[in-house]
Amino acid sequence: MTFVGGRQAEVVPDKELLSRHAAGDPHAFAEIVHRHRDRMWAVALRTLGDPEEAADALQDAFLSAFRAAGRFRGDAAVTTWLHRIVVNACLDRLRRKTLRPAVSMGDDAALDSLAPKSIDPTSAHELSLDVTAALQQLPFEQRAALILVDMMGYSVDDAAKVLEVPAGTIKSRCARGRARLAPLLLHLRNRRLATNVESAEEGGGNPT
Amino acid sequence: MNSAHLDYEMLADLAEGIVNDDLAASATEHLADCEECRDRSAELADVSRLLAESAVPPMPEKLAARIDAAIAAESVSTATVASLQARRGRRHLRMLSAAAAAIVVVGGAVAVGRSAMESPSVPADAHNQIPAQERTDRSTSSSAGASGEQSETAPKSAPQKLSGTYPVARTGTDYQDTTVGTQITDTLRRGDLPVTQPTGQLSACVQRVAAGKQPVLVDVAGYAGRPATVIVLPGSAGGSELDVWIVGSKCSVDTSDVIKHTSASR
Repeated sequence: MTFVGGRQAEVVPDKELLSRHAAGDPHAFAEIVHRHRDRMWAVALRTLGDPEEAADALQDAFLSAFRAAGRFRGDAAVTTWLHRIVVNACLDRLRRKTLRPAVSMGDDAALDSLAPKSIDPTSAHELSLDVTAALQQLPFEQRAALILVDMMGYSVDDAAKVLEVPAGTIKSRCARGRARLAPLLLHLRNRRLATNVESAEEGGGNPT
Repeated sequence: MNSAHLDYEMLADLAEGIVNDDLAASATEHLADCEECRDRSAELADVSRLLAESAVPPMPEKLAARIDAAIAAESVSTATVASLQARRGRRHLRMLSAAAAAIVVVGGAVAVGRSAMESPSVPADAHNQIPAQERTDRSTSSSAGASGEQSETAPKSAPQKLSGTYPVARTGTDYQDTTVGTQITDTLRRGDLPVTQPTGQLSACVQRVAAGKQPVLVDVAGYAGRPATVIVLPGSAGGSELDVWIVGSKCSVDTSDVIKHTSASR
């Protein structure tokens, strides 16, 4: 995991690792991968909704970053650059898989990699599955913006840098995306309310 | 309720602060009076919260191992050349795989030429641009070390080993006769090229055209409005010069189907 600001003195900054890699250090890039892969995995999985596709996209992305590292311009953060490569690799996958079924969630392995097994399977597991499925209903651009801002917690400005669009565009994509997701996720909210407040009989009254 | 209800879009825009002042004022006023719209507004806030809360598990071990292996394989294929580069300390590495190819050629055209000449699988005419002087040196270099520059040991097997790891992009760019040079420069500058492994006919085509050189870029794109593959090789003069082949869709192991052969620079 990455700590912004690097509390431990011996942690080599990403940029330094990247230039070591470009200068021929055979271990530098592997370290970059280790630092960021969980976060990049989260982005790829949510973006594509399918673990197999996400895995392929992520591998494409890291290899592409490996090869392009020498062209990295120091004025951006390495994470921003990596995110951009991952998002583009996902988009590339999506374009090529148009003829194949969108989401194959047939077996347990696929389900497990979409959502963690937890003590409370009805909540965390299903939430994760539903969120993944709901996100797939959005146009790619709205999905990418929401994943970065709402899910990964990046600022609008950082997301704008990753996706190379103005901050205002990110704001409107996020707003559109949330407006489309709200009805889709409504049932989740109701279910959670019902679980939390068991005696609340009168509860919802919301249309489905 | 003195005005129309607010839909999700309006409420989402309002929350994001991208509604003009007048509209925002009347919407806020409506919200104060309307429980139904306040509920909808709360649902929207929940969307962000649900997204933030829905945890993605760490990458599965198998995938982590697969990516590590792919990176390791890539490292091995570039390491020999990278260390050669480091020893010479001459040129800054721009793009590892590209530079790997470039240095073999830059340091000079010698190394590629040498292994090509020694390898029966590479058509001899692919390297007939190499001056005779160098060929002579090459044949004696291992024992005599004729001209200093050439006595430096180059990894003989590197060019063959490297082929197959070049980036294959599908940018969809329509390259044009008059602008092909700058278009290639632009494509190379993109740090985010989608890269795939070459397969079948494309791989055979590239192998044929590259003749043992490591492509800097292979772009499955278009030329003058028709489908074409742009194969960019390091130039034989070294440095920033690039050798550009544009081939048609018939390019395969049997024919090159060359549409245009030109040069460009990085």
